[in-house]
Parts: sequence; C-alpha cells; structure tokens
Amino acid sequence: MTTIDAPRTPVNRTRRGVNLEKWGWMYMRASGVVLVVLIFGHLFVNLVAGEGVKQIDFAFVAGKLTDPFWIVWDTLLLWLALIHGANGMRTLVNDYVTKPKVRAALHFALASSTAVLLILGTLVIYTFDPCPAGADPELVASFCSTL
Amino acid sequence: MATTAPEAPAQEVGAVQAFTVTLIVRRFDPEKDAEPYWQDFDVEMYSTDRVLDALHKIKWDQDGTLAFRRSCAHGICGSDAMRINGRNRLACKTLIKDLDITKPIYVEAIKGLPLEKDLIVDMEPFFESYRQVQPFLIASSKPEKERLQTIEQRARFDDTTKCILCAACTSSCPVFWTDGQYFGPAAIVNAHRFIFDSRDEAAQVRLDILNDKEGVWRCRTTFNCSEACPRGIEVTKAIAEVKQAILRGRP
Amino acid sequence: MSTETTMTPTASAVHHHQFDVVIVGAGGAGMRAAIEAGPNAKTAVISKLYPTRSHTGAAQGGMAAALANVEEDSWEWHTFDTVKGGDYLVDQDAAEILAKEAIDAIIDLENMGLPFNRTPDGKIDQRRFGGHTRDHGKAPVRRACYAADRTGHMILQTLFQNCVKLGIDFYNEYYVLDLLLSELDGERRAAGVVAYELATGDLHVFHAKSIVFATGGFGKIYKTTSNAHTLTGDGVGIIWRKGIPLEDMEFFQFHPTGLAGLGILLTEGARGEGAILRNASGERFMERYAPTIKDLAPRDIISRCMVQEVAEGRGAGPNKDYVLLDCTHLGAEVLETKLPDITEFARTYLGVDPVHEPVPVMPTAHYAMGGIPTTIKAEVLADNETVIKGLYAAGECACVSVHGSNRLGTNSLLDINVFGKRAGKYAVEYANSADFAPLPEDPSKEVREMVERLRVADGPERLAPLRKTLQEEMDKNAQVFRTEESLGSVTTTIQELRDRYQNIGIQDRGKRFNTDLLEAIELGFLLDIAEVVVFSARNRKESRGGHMRDDYPDRNDADYMQHTMAYLVGDLHSANPEDHIRMDWKPVTITHYQPMERKY
Repeated sequence: MTTIDAPRTPVNRTRRGVNLEKWGWMYMRASGVVLVVLIFGHLFVNLVAGEGVKQIDFAFVAGKLTDPFWIVWDTLLLWLALIHGANGMRTLVNDYVTKPKVRAALHFALASSTAVLLILGTLVIYTFDPCPAGADPELVASFCSTL
Repeated sequence: MATTAPEAPAQEVGAVQAFTVTLIVRRFDPEKDAEPYWQDFDVEMYSTDRVLDALHKIKWDQDGTLAFRRSCAHGICGSDAMRINGRNRLACKTLIKDLDITKPIYVEAIKGLPLEKDLIVDMEPFFESYRQVQPFLIASSKPEKERLQTIEQRARFDDTTKCILCAACTSSCPVFWTDGQYFGPAAIVNAHRFIFDSRDEAAQVRLDILNDKEGVWRCRTTFNCSEACPRGIEVTKAIAEVKQAILRGRP
Repeated sequence: MSTETTMTPTASAVHHHQFDVVIVGAGGAGMRAAIEAGPNAKTAVISKLYPTRSHTGAAQGGMAAALANVEEDSWEWHTFDTVKGGDYLVDQDAAEILAKEAIDAIIDLENMGLPFNRTPDGKIDQRRFGGHTRDHGKAPVRRACYAADRTGHMILQTLFQNCVKLGIDFYNEYYVLDLLLSELDGERRAAGVVAYELATGDLHVFHAKSIVFATGGFGKIYKTTSNAHTLTGDGVGIIWRKGIPLEDMEFFQFHPTGLAGLGILLTEGARGEGAILRNASGERFMERYAPTIKDLAPRDIISRCMVQEVAEGRGAGPNKDYVLLDCTHLGAEVLETKLPDITEFARTYLGVDPVHEPVPVMPTAHYAMGGIPTTIKAEVLADNETVIKGLYAAGECACVSVHGSNRLGTNSLLDINVFGKRAGKYAVEYANSADFAPLPEDPSKEVREMVERLRVADGPERLAPLRKTLQEEMDKNAQVFRTEESLGSVTTTIQELRDRYQNIGIQDRGKRFNTDLLEAIELGFLLDIAEVVVFSARNRKESRGGHMRDDYPDRNDADYMQHTMAYLVGDLHSANPEDHIRMDWKPVTITHYQPMERKY
C-alpha cells in the first residue's frame, strides 16, 4: 500500500488580492459546454456530412479555412480546448506533484507549451495559404485554378 | 436478587461462532522506529464485534504499546477515525461482519495529517482549518427570547449539523493529501452549517473566505468525503452548495 | 502566559503556567464555565480529550426548561418534578435554581447558535420526557427542548464553537492528575493542578487562583454502560485522594434503554415520542407499575421494573434476558427525522430495524448522581459547611444536589449549563478578588513519582483483566438491585483488585502517547471510586431512587433522609475500606416540598 504522511505544504494561508480560482472553475464549466458543440460540430462536418471521412484531404481543409465561419469556429476550438486541457493538466499536476520545484517546472513547461501551441495554431489558421505556388493542381482546392 | 448483566445479544442477533481474524496494523513509534512498518495480530472475534474491539483486544491482551484514540465507542465522539482496508471509517462503527474476514484487515492512521504514533495523527492542522471558517453564529441582534426560525429554515442546514469533526472526510480527500493548505471538506461542511442558517449574518464573510485558491474551487468532486463520512452527511453536495452560493453571491 | 521549563533528574520535563481560572474538563459544564470566565479573566481549559470528544456529545433526548412553548408549564412544576424524581433527596434550593435558570440557559444556547427543532410558528419545539409532568404529576408535559436525538452533540458543538469565537486557551489531551492545595491566611485554598501531556509525556504545573472541576462521570466502573471509555472518574478520584468528601456516591443511574448487551444508549425521547416497552408476551408492562405515566416514569423505576420482568421470566429473546422497545407504530418518518441516530444505532450494532421490529434493551449504567459536594455557587465543600476557596465543581462530577437519588432525563444537560455557567461566574468573581495561593514546594512531585514508577512498572498483573473483573463484578453485585451479600462480595473483590493493582506491569515504556500508562492510572481511579460507591451503598440500608436494596426494599425517611458524605481518612491503600473511609451525613435542604410517597 502507498503511504501518505503529512500534507506536503503546511497550513499557512495568506490572502492575495486577485483570486482566479473561481474564474478558473467557471471557465472549465462554460468552456466545457461550448466545446461539446464545437467538437461534435467539427466531427460531424468532417466525418459524417457529405462523403464522410473519405472527403478529407488538403483541399477539403483548405476549403474550410477560406470560409470565415470555419476560421472563427476553429479559432474558438483551438483556444477553448487548449486552455481547458492545460488548466485540467494544471490541476492534475497540483494533485500529484508534491515537490514545489518539480511542480513549478511542470507548470512552466505546461504554460510555455500551451502558449507555443496557441501561437502556432493561430498562425496556421490566419496565415494559411490554400493555394501554395507550384503545387500539384490535383491536390489543392478546385478554386485555386481560378486564381 | 443480585442482578446479572445481560449476556451479549450478539448470540441471538448474529452468528455466535467466534473466529480468528488477522489484523495488519501500520505501526510507528517515533521514539524507536525510523519508518512505519506493518505488523500482524491474530485475534478471536465475533461477527458483531467492531474493529475497535479488535484493537482493544490487541492492546489489552497482546501489545500494550499499540496507541490509538477512542472514547464513546458508538460513533458520536469522532475519536477513532482510521483507514480500515483502505477506507476511512470509525473503528467503533465498523463491524467485523461487514468486512471480508477471509483476508486480513488492514488498519492504519488516517492520511494527510502528521503521523504521531501508530494510529494517532496530529489533528492541529485539521482544527486550524476549522477555526478559519469562523464556525460560530454571528448575529448582531440580542433578542429577549429565542430567535425565530421556521421548520423549513431549520431543515436547510440540518445535514451539516451532524458533523463530529472526526476528520474522516478531510483525510480521505486526494486534494488534501497533496495540499495541506486546502481547507478540506470538514471545514467547508462547518462553514455550510452557518452559511445556510437563517439566523446568521456573516454568510458573506465565510463565502469570501472559501472563495480562495485553497477554498471550495479545489474540490474535484471525487466523492471520497461523502463516502467516508460516518454520519452520512452529503459532504460533496454541501461543498457544491457553497460553490453555488459563491457564484450567486448569497446563500 | 509565563511558561518556564525545568528538567528533573528523572528526565520528566516540567512546564509551568499561570492563569486566573483553570477549568479541568472540556465537556458541557467545562466549556459553559469557560464561556463565562474567558472574557473576564485569563482562562485555560485542560482536557484529556479534544473538546468535541467529550461525552456530553452522546446525550440525545433533550434539555428541560419550562418555556411553555407548546403547552402550559411553569418552572415551579419543573422544580417539583425534579424533587420528586430524586425521591426527595434533592436540595430544593438548588432544584429551584435549576428550574428557574433553565429558561435563560436555553435562550443562551439558542442565541449562541444551537439549532433546536422548531414549532410551526418558529419557536423552540419541546417534547415529553420521563418524570416531567404538568401540575405536580397530573400528566406528562412537553418540556424537553431538543435537536433531533443529538441534543447533547449540538450543545457540545455550540459551546465549542463559542469557545473558538472567544479564543479560549485549550490544553487538549492533557490529563490532570493532581490538585494542589495550600494554606493561605490559615485557610486551605486551591493553588493549581498538575497535568500530564499525552503527546510528550511532559508534566505541566498550572498555577491558578480559581480551579473548576468539570470532569464528568465514572460509568466505567461498570461493564454495561452508556459511558465512554474515557469516563474513568479521574477528577472525582483526585478530589477523593485529597481528603475532600464525596457525596451520595451510592446513587448511580441505570438508564432503562441501553442496547441489550452493548449498553449503547437509546434516548428516553423515543418513549417521549410514544415508543412502548414490552415484555416477551408483548405486554406493555409499565402499565402495571406506573398506571398514570406508564413508559414515561422516571428511569430508576423503569429500570427496576425491567429487571424484575426479566427476573420473573418474562424477558424476551432465546435467553429471556431483555425486554423490547417497540417503536414500530411511530412510523418511518418520525424515526428518521426525530430519532435518526438511535435508529441507526439499532441497525448498525444489533442489525435490528426499529421501523419494523422492536429493539432489545436492558438497563445500562448511565449517570452518577453523587460526586464532589458543592454549594449552589458551585464551590466545593470540605465538609457540610466549609467551602474550599478557589475550588469549584460542576456537571456530573459534582453533587449540588439537584438530582438527589435519581436524576430526571434532560436534567443533566440542564445541570451542566446552569451550574457550569455558575461555576465560571463565581470562579471569575473569586479570581478577580483574591491572590494566588502559593504553590507547594516541588508541586509536581507526587505525579512525577507516580508516572515514573508506572512507566517502568514490570509487575506480573495486567491492567485489562483487573479492570474487566472490576466491571463485571460491579455489574453483578452493585447494579440495579443490591443486597448486603452482593455488596459484601464486591467489596472483597475490590480489595483483592486493589492489592493486585500494586503489582501491575505495563508494556509501553515510551513518553509519546503512552496510553498504556494512562490506562493504568485511570484504573487506579476506577478502583478507588468503585470502593467508595460500594461502601456508601452498604451504608445506606434503605431503597431510594437509584439505590435499590433488595434486603431493605422501602424508603426509610426516619434514618436516611440525608445525604451520604464519605471521607478518606488514613491510608488509602489499607486493605479494609473501613480503615480508611469514614461515613457521615449531611442534611437535605427542604424549602417547599415535604417528602411524600413517590407514585406515578
């Protein structure tokens, strides 16, 4: 059996000015509800509607990312899901990692990887070129030929 | 007519057969041991005996050095919360017949509080959290007679008045295990008892105290506390009600 | 707090503290006293348990006060019931105070936050209880204020909460083992107490102007008892060893409805709500014994009738050794809302569901009417008149005497609140007007020597068998019915046990949480107290209240309408109690009610 002795951090509560825990808690619930819609909408459009899973190729994705509706959709999905996941991961770290230094290191790693992914993801969504120069016309969206 | 004490009705109500039960107790004496260790004891028990009876048999017949707390022996004083087969229970409310006696019974101190000796932990951090939620009626009026309260208002917080401060809930909480700064279920239950008392005027103060990094938001709703409570208090529900009250900004 | 630490050659660290008021015991009486004393003087509460573990928390049914919230009532009726319930051995001036101050005591508790059950119009609800009647015995009256069947729990929690609010200094898991008295201005005065700290094995000397003993009862002299394992009469034992008398020790209450064989309490409130006692044939036997109030007769009477039913072969069960408490007609809702805890006790410990089947019950040792003699100001008496300045007692350990020879249900929660408050009040009053009495030279000497001796004791006797023999023999010979023969037999047993106790050996040699050592010390108190109880019982050759002598079945007012006073004289360890116990009497205070035959 595992044994757990004294709490890792002794009671020494000092009140700080800003308290984000309540907002974090609310965020998880609110984003959760929105993400249900975003994720299932995403899955339905990609995997079920039209020709289903067979339709997915570069052209399909490129087509979606020229439509402002899907740009907003995917941006929301990216930000809400990543922050939701990272915040969840943060609580897991808090629950399971007891050494303050390791905890701080993991929090840092988590925050920085989340930031990097958000930036990269956002860049992809907004700087995506659906018709790269010199690409095989077979692979890109049909509207590229009209450009 | 000198009277004789009634013999144990155990003989009519349950099975009479005595049998040998193995208890494996996690021992630790800081004066002697560097690390806690597990020790086996065989005791003769009846099925209607309690785990506390088994511990007494060990202490009184086999090893007087075994240390544990106990007082009322019927689940009202909250002294003997301990981890029995991995679950937090009161030793005096856990009957041998309700455990699987084909296997040894593991008994150890509750977790998350500093281990003092054998089954005894330091309760001070637990009571410190309790004291911090201002667990007392705060009301400015000083009436001539009793303050009035309807039956419904009284029922609103009935469940959380049952708390005996045994720490079974708090020491079953995985958040508390790793973060001793978390107020813990028991403190929140005792705050709940006053937040929802119609006579109290300081709900806002307690809601503010619990709207903290180490307050109710740390609760992960694992329901360990509700399961551990020997008084049957719906602890997780009480915590959720406090969360809702904070969001609402009033009880 | 001035704290200094000295090391003795035997390596027991001794710490010194100074307070105006020191309260020993953190049950209802102790914490009520602390709430009174705390804001007005430098106060400490010393308790062998965490305060919320105290046995006040096990009280269930209610606390009496003539609020007249649900029907006509008056404190004068309450006084009469208390006097009659105590079989006229009650000091009537004290009973008057109890009943009169009950009303304020309830309001105080409510204002402190106690969640009483309520009437439909929002007032404190009240229910019936044994021996409480309207207009001097005409019919049961609803006088007990209650919070479900955990009134004691709620009182204990509420008092603790208010101690937290006031920031009272608690010394938890400190066992007070000695009382220090010293001479000042030619008078014996309280000077302090010596306590053993469980966690470390260190000793603490508390120098104080006023000391309040609120140490509770000593039900563990019996085997079948509703009392906690920790109720070993340490406080009463300390007082006894100091040569201060003990009053009315023969009167011990056996609560009728203990879970058969286990002794766990089922509240009288169950009968207050309408539950009925039945024998094997299903007969409501109390109708025969107390035709007017039947199952709500006082506890001494009901316990006696139950034992008689069993003795005459009308007991239930395969061994015909218990009677039945029938709650089945109350319905699941009443049981779940007004009596939830006892319903659960029956289910958990006997596997019996009170909703569907009657619960096996038998009398269980419950409450000591006797104890440390005090005045109505809670001052401890050194004889029939002399007060020991600075020393107070309240609650079960004390004998005011408001309970006489038998306590009414709900009067003990009342006692701790009324006289706990008084003890706190008068202790502060004295502390603020007096000087510290000097501590004796080397104040911790006696305790230190006892602890050092026991910590290394390696005699052949084990404490558990000694204690078990004491408890079993007390159950057999000094329980509901007593005779010269049975009391003589248990006297011999106690003498043997006291001899064997001198050769006790303990196994734990450590200093931290040495509960083995403490149990041995507690057993010493149990043996001393059991001896006084039995000796006092032999001395009273009549039957009155909780003291039923089969060989003297009638009350004898001509010879025994007075309180027993037992004094320790000579060598505590001499074999024959007659060599070291002197019996004396103290008159009963009668104000309004002349003794009458006690019929219900």
